[in-house]
Amino acid sequence: MRALRTVLLLALSALLLNACMEVRAWERGYLARDEMAWDPDVLESALNDHIFFSKEASSGGNSAAGGGCGCN
Amino acid sequence: MEPKLTRFTFKAMGSFCEIQLFDASRVHGKQLARKLSSEVARLEAKYSRFKSESLLSQINLAAGNAKGLAIDTETVSLLEHAKSCFETSDGLFDITAGVLNTLWDFKQAKVPSQEQIEEALTRVGFDRLAWQDSCLHLPQGMQIDFGGIVKEYAADSVARLARELGVDAGLVNLGGDFSVIGLRPDDRPWPVGIQGPEHPQDVIAGIALSAGGLASSGDYERCFLHEGKRYSHILNPMTGWPSSGLRAVSVAASLCTVAGSVATIAMLKEEQAAKDWLLESGLPHVWVDSHAKVESSGLSEQG
Amino acid sequence: MKSSASRNILALSSTALALPGIALAAAPPTQSTASYKLSNYQEDDLSRSEAPFGELERYDIDVHQFQLVSPISRNMSLQVDANYESLSGASPWFTSRGLDGEPIVNLSGASGIRDQRREISIGSRYYLDSGSVAGNIGYSEEDDYRSVYFGINAERDFNNELTTLSAGFSHASDDIFPTDALLFNRVENENKKSDSAYVSLSQIINQVSSFQVAFSVTEQSGFLSDPYKLRDSRPDEKTQLALSTAYRRFFVGADAALHVNYRYYHDDFGISSHTGELAWHQNIGTRLQLVPALRYYSQSAADFFTNVDDILKPLNEFQSSDYRLAAFGAISGGLSLIADIGSYRAIFTAERYVANEKYSAYAVSQPSTALVSYNRISLGIEYSF
Repeated sequence: MRALRTVLLLALSALLLNACMEVRAWERGYLARDEMAWDPDVLESALNDHIFFSKEASSGGNSAAGGGCGCN
Repeated sequence: MEPKLTRFTFKAMGSFCEIQLFDASRVHGKQLARKLSSEVARLEAKYSRFKSESLLSQINLAAGNAKGLAIDTETVSLLEHAKSCFETSDGLFDITAGVLNTLWDFKQAKVPSQEQIEEALTRVGFDRLAWQDSCLHLPQGMQIDFGGIVKEYAADSVARLARELGVDAGLVNLGGDFSVIGLRPDDRPWPVGIQGPEHPQDVIAGIALSAGGLASSGDYERCFLHEGKRYSHILNPMTGWPSSGLRAVSVAASLCTVAGSVATIAMLKEEQAAKDWLLESGLPHVWVDSHAKVESSGLSEQG
Repeated sequence: MKSSASRNILALSSTALALPGIALAAAPPTQSTASYKLSNYQEDDLSRSEAPFGELERYDIDVHQFQLVSPISRNMSLQVDANYESLSGASPWFTSRGLDGEPIVNLSGASGIRDQRREISIGSRYYLDSGSVAGNIGYSEEDDYRSVYFGINAERDFNNELTTLSAGFSHASDDIFPTDALLFNRVENENKKSDSAYVSLSQIINQVSSFQVAFSVTEQSGFLSDPYKLRDSRPDEKTQLALSTAYRRFFVGADAALHVNYRYYHDDFGISSHTGELAWHQNIGTRLQLVPALRYYSQSAADFFTNVDDILKPLNEFQSSDYRLAAFGAISGGLSLIADIGSYRAIFTAERYVANEKYSAYAVSQPSTALVSYNRISLGIEYSF
């Protein structure tokens, strides 16, 4: 777990230091597209989160847990 | 599917405007262009000094009102940019200087008296404006207008909106102020011709825009002679007298808004100072001076 | 470029970039969007060898999701979500040894379960200069379960909006009142509380790619066991940690976007897991999109997992045969077709999920016989106005 965390932190720093080229306002067209969003279909990811929550032991990651249900 | 070019022309902000964009369907392209032109209409309705219901007219009518007038984020940001233009130009680009224009009757070559100029100057001065907590206080007798800022901002705003709507390739042209939406298919830049101040058909320079914007500022009326001196139509907000600067300037920059501010400031400076300042800025530009000399810098390297 | 003229250009550029029509900073949506999604998923039947006695059919679930997002002022947006779920079928009641000594599953009751869940939540986001704050509250109820929850989160942009930092907190209080409690000697009324926090960092790398890393912690306390299982006893506290990363990359030539997600999870029941997701969002013209997606999941078993219930074990010793606590791996593949028609968007999705101890990346000492596989189809509509 610790090794994994270190690797991820290093990867993140490397990316930040190396890659942060200035991306001008008018150059962000591609990033603003639907298919480049973190979550293009909110209902789909909510549904998947709910289904996987009821069939698997894991949850969480990029958001705080929402409400509960009797399925786990 | 081969993207097809849609050209949509309309009149706005007192100029001929054109939006060019590439889309798989001409029908869809036209729908998009129409939607984009409504963004220009929105800004015109909000900031036109010729429309009595515009926010700008409301602001000017409220001059002298101690309570001030509530303004929105967009207006605050425009005022912040106007402040930046005022400071960068050492007071030459002043959005409160419009009151001086009423003094000079260029058609009859009438020159106002010094007392008239002094009086008008008491009502000019960007630093007299105050805005806090989205409330603008405009002193009695003062007026503002966003000429030299809002048309260029509209070009950039339309370009940004176009990209959000999924347009990859296109060009916005609002009366000679350009903003690139995206490169033409096969990554080719947009060729733009810069018109001379005398005749619209005279193309004095060409530039290939691949990103950002191009804006032009000029003294399009013939200068008038009075007692042997040549006067332009560009008034110096600090003296109240016309300046003797360049005849026309076009500048390319990362944003049409920035290009427009730089071009307007260059027009307000004295000729030689303007030429030096433009060269120092490092931005691609072309100027026409009072002797009709044309010189460009950096146009071929724009990209 | 250090001359005063270039500093001037920089000053002009920074105020120009702050203009709302140019800034790509988060702003309230300019349009309202109403969405509806209808889904059905059916778990595979058990085989006779897995369940020699009783029911074979597992869950068949219909889900209706509604959402409305609307700007309510210059700086604020409102979101309302409503969900309705109806399920029928059976779920594992207990496990035992079959005639050949191998673990077998016994599904609940001959009449099966018929249950419904209704959920409603409301939230709002308030936009400031370089970020936003949001809050939401919600309520979910079933015949035997009730959950009340709320959450808050905040986001801030840095670095000319190239970097976004966000953090949030949520709290939920759940009440369980199992049906036929007295008849089956189940607990009558129990409570479970959950507190969760996360922090996340997103970074734009260049014009076509971005990266995100996030970390979350959840604390659960109260009644965490499954009241419907014959013999299920779990600790009354659970701490969960999750670290997730996501990468997005747009391929201009292909007109498609690649999504890669990875999450590592660990909790103090002893479960660790890896989740990896891959999706390819392929544009076809300007109005169609095809999205094939793949997911791999693998978890280790809880410390107290057993694939055969030991009814004689004392109640204060933890034990559960719930397949969700077993070591297994799951692979799922799906395909979505998205079509834009005027102000509408239609999304059709089909997915198949298969869990199997053979797919596990972790050692499996006790494979569960009740692992689930299912098919799902969904049809969604979005309308912007």
